[in-house]
This record gives sequence, structure tokens and C-alpha cells, in this order.
Amino acid sequence: MRARRGFIERSIADITATLEKAIFSEELARKEGLLQNLDPRMKVITFLALLLAVSLSQGLLIIVALYFLTLLLAWRSRIPLGFFIKRVWLFMPFFTGMVALPALFNIFTPGEPIVTLWQTERFHLAITIQGLRTATFLVLRVGVSVSLALLSVLTTPWATLLKALHILRLPQVFILILGMAYRYAFLLLHTANSMFLARQSRTVGQMPGGENRRWIAASASTLLAKSYHLSQEVYLAMLSRGFRGEAQMLDTFRLKPSDWLWGATLLALALLAVLM
Amino acid sequence: MKMRKEPIFELERVSFTYDGKVTALREVSLAVAAREKIALLGANGSGKSTLLMILAGLYFPALGQVRAFGNALTEEAFKDESFAFSFRRKVGLLFQDPDVQLFSPTVWDEVAFAPLQLGLDQEEVVSRVEEALRLLRIESLRDRAPHRLSEGEKKKVAIASILSLHPEVWLLDEPTAGLDPRTESWFLDFICQLNEVGHTVITATHDLDAVDLIADRIYVLSEENRLIAQGTRQEILSDRELLLRCNLTHEHRHRHERLEHAHPHRHPERHIHPHE
Amino acid sequence: MHIPDGYLSPASCAVMYAAATPFWYRASRKVKRVLTARMVPLIALFAAFSFVIMMFNIPLPGGTTGHAVGSTLVAIILGPWAAVIAISVALAIQALFFGDGGVLAFGANCFNMAVVMPFVGYYIYHWISGRSELTSLRRPIGAAVAGYVALTIAALFTAVELGLQPYLFRAADGTPLYAPYGLSVAIPAMMGPHLLVASVVEALVTGSIISYLQRVNQPLLMLTTELPAEARERAVASPRARILWVGLAILILLAPLGLLAPGTAWGEWGGEELRELGLGFIPEGLERLGGIWPAPIPDYEVPGLNANLGYILSAVVGIVLVSLVTWLVSRIVVRQSTKI
Repeated sequence: MRARRGFIERSIADITATLEKAIFSEELARKEGLLQNLDPRMKVITFLALLLAVSLSQGLLIIVALYFLTLLLAWRSRIPLGFFIKRVWLFMPFFTGMVALPALFNIFTPGEPIVTLWQTERFHLAITIQGLRTATFLVLRVGVSVSLALLSVLTTPWATLLKALHILRLPQVFILILGMAYRYAFLLLHTANSMFLARQSRTVGQMPGGENRRWIAASASTLLAKSYHLSQEVYLAMLSRGFRGEAQMLDTFRLKPSDWLWGATLLALALLAVLM
Repeated sequence: MKMRKEPIFELERVSFTYDGKVTALREVSLAVAAREKIALLGANGSGKSTLLMILAGLYFPALGQVRAFGNALTEEAFKDESFAFSFRRKVGLLFQDPDVQLFSPTVWDEVAFAPLQLGLDQEEVVSRVEEALRLLRIESLRDRAPHRLSEGEKKKVAIASILSLHPEVWLLDEPTAGLDPRTESWFLDFICQLNEVGHTVITATHDLDAVDLIADRIYVLSEENRLIAQGTRQEILSDRELLLRCNLTHEHRHRHERLEHAHPHRHPERHIHPHE
Repeated sequence: MHIPDGYLSPASCAVMYAAATPFWYRASRKVKRVLTARMVPLIALFAAFSFVIMMFNIPLPGGTTGHAVGSTLVAIILGPWAAVIAISVALAIQALFFGDGGVLAFGANCFNMAVVMPFVGYYIYHWISGRSELTSLRRPIGAAVAGYVALTIAALFTAVELGLQPYLFRAADGTPLYAPYGLSVAIPAMMGPHLLVASVVEALVTGSIISYLQRVNQPLLMLTTELPAEARERAVASPRARILWVGLAILILLAPLGLLAPGTAWGEWGGEELRELGLGFIPEGLERLGGIWPAPIPDYEVPGLNANLGYILSAVVGIVLVSLVTWLVSRIVVRQSTKI
């Protein structure tokens, strides 16, 4: 299906989806909810611990339990659950599921067969316990990890998340660059979008592939030149406000008792998941 | 002018070319005293933005002398940290394109950028940011991403980001471009107030109606990038021939009651003149 | 190409973070000191650009479309060190904001796409284009070849990282805990689509943009030579083996540590249950490899020993792999610097 659609439609769809996602996330991040109120630094630390727990745990049930924890947290943070579940799992089966599918069979994962599909003298095709488990591990781990990452992003305004990253000893200049890159990505996305739309409005019928590729090279180059030009201007704007290559940041985060409580609870749960 | 003081800016036969190819200024000389209200008037491409960049210590001409606050303004001079620090602190530049000027993740960070870069302590930074947000009545925008604001809001944030620097000199590049009428008149008022409380304001523009309000003295740049006239507001604005020659005004046909005819003309203003 | 969390064991993630760190460190030092404040917006804008370029779908013969990564392009224009940061930043935005690529796997993704790719791409481009004229045909061709090879090699790294997982991390009953396919499956599965589709897209994009810039915007092709002399000299000559060897030493130190961390959990979990079942723990891959070794592994009934062997093996493989890359990169770098 996807291949049928033209590259312009796909590109526009991708760009629009990206822009919409960003706007919607920002809305959710401003709601009043459990995770929205958690100190962002605490959130970064606890979510990393939970991610690690998902990755380290060797019990499928434990990973499932961690998934229910993310659902609980999402619910308490007033994230629409239907949206949250769909957003994670609709993409998952398409990629990880497909990747994991062959692993079910004894060809890729030898082990005890539970369902034999084909049995002759020389050929034996079966789903193995090990295969089933490994595929489940993969799909669950990926799904729960994506849920966790999504949850932390949905409940934290991007700018706050950026500042919280400082707690990971990330150099400030990286954080500055990261913030600017994100901000200008939107500007360039808008530019790219209007290029595609302008092109679409002028195109009747099919264009040969070669011509399309030339057009893309031209517009990507235009975008590249614009990026460079903008960077020079932005540099001057930064310079005129005293920039000397050092990023200065002011974080006004204050840990509340409730932050400690939630932080400790989530960390304990992560630890428990690993030890169990 | 009440008192002729030492000029704060002095340009002597300054010429500037981009990449050694495109000429932006030819032998421009001017002098600006403290507390003056000045306009650099010229059509697009006349070099007025370049001139502002030179005054802001961002471009350095290969030919001619630039002096500011009694010091030569050269690339070399800016290598001296204390000179760079004091100059950047005194001079604020409003860029024509707010997308260039607004590079931070939130409005608050944007306004805090200059005070933080200048190494002010935390309390001072916070109080300056709050004051700037309050003066421009944009407190409600504090957590918004600058790139998602309307053009008028962007302009206000850009102004606030300079206001928090507490500069003595304001350099404004086409400040009314892209503003709706109400924001525009508010902004022209703001510029006048700045000047009344003792700031030097230098505005580059081609908007003759704005000039009427925000300049006591006017320098006119020709399309050949030369300074071809200077004088008081009255002298320059009454010289229709000059304005026509510099592509700052135009003739077109229009109607006065029943008569249709052509003459040099400025738009929003009502004009009265005798008809035969 | 973007590895999500769940495919790599935490230990492998740690190793890959360790592998990427010296490059990040080196690159950030350059941004801070040598390349001046000007580099900050430059890198930010190019990160934004490479983020956006991934939205450009390129039509391919046969009706499908694909998109480029752009690492080679950014490396050609900004130089490999600035590209390390720019692409890492683009990947961080994708991982953090759009869930494309994992957070724990961020180190691995950066190593593949923000370290291996720009360096391979940059040096192949310079090797082919040499000192040719700015308008020479050798430049777009060099860029296309560089894009093709760089993405293919990055895909190979990804495949090896994924393919090593089942040899190293299995549950007691032989269930692979992370990516389930061994090298013999992972490498062809990854390389096929890349050799035929993804790398072709990368080559087309990189080559045609360079060719377009030749006609329209030559100054952009000279950015790396326009940098201050000091920066240029360092940008090409500097990484010298030293810093990379230091990075490698850290890696060697960290690798066993990172690998041992899950070891305890694994051993504990396996021990009781295994003895009850009376089953020995035989990592499938180990068993196969065991045959190759002169002395077969003695009593693999003891789970602990085999588990440890697994860790050691993983550490050895990891270190050999990283050493190889480091050695190759440093060789190329040193040769390049002696030429200039």
C-alpha cells in the first residue's frame, strides 16, 4: 500500500504527522497530572531506571507488570489511554513483530517444539517454546521501552526535559545545540512542507522518477543552503546578546517532598523488577 | 538636540562588501550622539541593515574607521573580553527576522539569554526577565516555544530579549515589518518612550510614516549604497524629489473626489493639496 | 537502522556508549575550543537539516521510496567531527521525541550512524575526490560512493551488534533474551535491503546534492577549508591514535564491568531452576563455537562457568571489534594527515 502513494504525499504526510505530534505532546505536557508534577530531573532518573529494569529483567511477567505500571502512570497523568496504547502498539507489530516472527520457529530458534507444523523424514517445522519466548521478550521489551520513553516525553515540556538532561552530566553546550536543533527543525520542516505543497499543486499526473529525484536534490540543497545561511545569522544574533561559546543555563527546579516519594517508589519498583 | 556631546558612534568613509563581491556600503560617514533618535532611511538593498550590523559590532568593514564609545570597533578589539563584555551590554540589536533572533526553547529562556551570558547573578536575571515580560505584557507567553508564536508576539519577545539586557543603545532593523496595525502603533510608541527615558535609538527602515514618529534626524541611503542626504526629519521628509530618487516613495494614480491624477504619495496618511 | 530499546542487552548498550563517548568528547572539545562559538548554531542547524532530510522520500525504480540518513553529506560539508555532534543531536531528537531509536540503544545508534558513518563517508569522499577541481565530476561521484559505502558499513555494524546478542545473552533454556538472530541471519537480513535499497538512496541523495551545490552554491563545498587554519589542521590531523586509544582503554575497562552487571542477575535466576530441571545451560552459539576451539569447554553442566565464558567471549568480541575499527580509523586518519 505504502509504495503506491507518491513520494510527495508520503513526505507531506510524514512532515505533517511530525508537526502534529509535537503540538499534541506539548498540550499533554501542560495538563495537571501525576508525572507532569514530578520534578523533571527525578523523572529522567527514574525513567532511565525503569528502562534498564525492562531491559535487564528476565521474566516475561515482570515486564508485563512494568507495562501495567506505565499504563497506571499514564492514566494518573491524564493521558488518553486509547491514544497512548495505540500510539505505541500500532507501530510495533509492523516492525518488531515482523522481525520477531521467524524466531518462533525451530529453524531460527531450536528448542522444545510445542506446535509442529510440518513433519517429514528430513524436514521438521515447529514453533518452539524458546522461539515463542524470545519473540515475546523482544516485542514486549520494545513495546514497554517505547511506552516509557513516550510517557516521559508526553508529560514533560521539551524545554524542561532539555534542562533536566543536565543532570546526566551532559555538557551544557550539547544541551544548547540540542535545543536549537529542535527549534530550527520546525522552521525547516515548515519550509520543506511548503516546498512539497507547492510542487504538488503544480504537478498533474505522474512525473518520471529521474525528474523527481532531480527536484528533490534541488529542494534539499536549497534547504541546506538555508540552514547554513540561518546558522550564520543566528550566530550574529547570539553574539550580539553576549554569546561567547559558553552555554549558561538557569534551572529553577526545586525538589518537593512528593518528588522524593514518587522517585523513591519508582526506583524501588525498578529495582524490584530486576531482582525478582 | 539639547547638547552636542561626544558622539557615541562615528563612522568615517566606511565601505563594506560581502565575500569581496557584493558591495553593501560605499564610503559612508556618520556620527550619532547619545540620546539621539535617528533613522537610517533607504530602499531594500541600500545597505541599511549592513550599517546596523556594523554599528552592532557584528560586521567589520575592510575600509574606513568605526568608533564606538571612544574606542575603535574592530574584530581585534572584541578579542578583549572586557571590551566585548561592556560593548555587548550597552548595545542591543533587534533583527528584522524574529526567527533569527529567537533561538531558545521557551520565551523565558529567550529573555534570560542575554543576562545569563553577561554573567549576572541568578536573582538579577530573574528580576530582569520578569520585568521585561511585564513591560511587554507577555507574561502569559513565558513557557511557550518562541517558534510557535504569531508574528506580533515574536516581535514582542524579541524586544523583551533585548530589554532584559538593559542596553543604552537600541538598533532596530525594520521593526514595523510584518506587524498588524495595532501592534505597530504600540511599538512606535514604545520606541518613543525608550528615547524619552534616555536611550539612543537608531532605526533602519523604509517606512516613511514610521520615520515621522521615531526619528529626529535622518540619514538617507541611496540604492547605490551611498549616504546621499542627512538632516532633520522635517528637512528630509519634505524633500519629495529626494525620496522619489531613493525609491522611498512612488507616484501612482488615485482619486480625489472626482479627479484622477498622479503625484508622489505616502499611503496611510491623509493628504490634502490643491487641485486645479 | 535505528535500533529500538529491547534489541540489545544493557551490557551491549553500555559497551556502545563507551565506544561512542571518546568521539563525543573529542568532538565537543573541538567545538568548544578550536572551532569557536560560530560552530554552535552551525551544528544545530545542520542537525536540524539532517532531521528534516529524513522526511524526504526518494522515489526509486520499481515504485518504492526510501529516505537518506545524511551523515555523509553533513560530514563532507562540515567535516567529520562536527558531523559527529550534528548527527548525534538529530538522533537524540528522534529518540527522545519521536521514539525512533531507543534511549539505552542511543550509544549504539550514534556509534553506527554518527561516528562510523561520517568518518567512513568523509574519508572515502576525500580519497576519491582528492584534490580535484571544485566542479570536477569526481566530487559527486566520490560523494555518492561515500554515501553508499558509509551507510552499508554502518548497517554492517548494526547487524553485528544485533547478531552477537543471541550468542551472549540467553536464558537458561536457551531462549535468546534480546535480538534473537545470530550473525549468520542478522548480517544477510540487514545487508540485503541496505545494499539494494537504503544505501542506493543515500548514494543518490548525497551525490545529487553535491552535484547541485557545485552548480549553485560552491561556497558551501568549501566550508571545511574556510575554517581557521588552526582548526583545519586539527580537524584533519588531530584525532591521532592517542585519544582514540584512551577511549579504547576506557572501553576495555568498562566492557567487562558492563557485561558483569547483568551476570549476577542472570546467574541467580538460572541456578536454582536449572538444578531442579537437571538441565545444563548450553548457549547454542557457544556450543557451536566450542567445536572450533582446540580444547572443548570442559564441564558445561555448571551454569556459572558457561555464563562467565559467555561474558568473556562477548567482551573479547566487542573489544576486538572496536579495536579493529579504532585501528582502521586511526590508520586512515594518520595517513591522511601525513599527506597534508
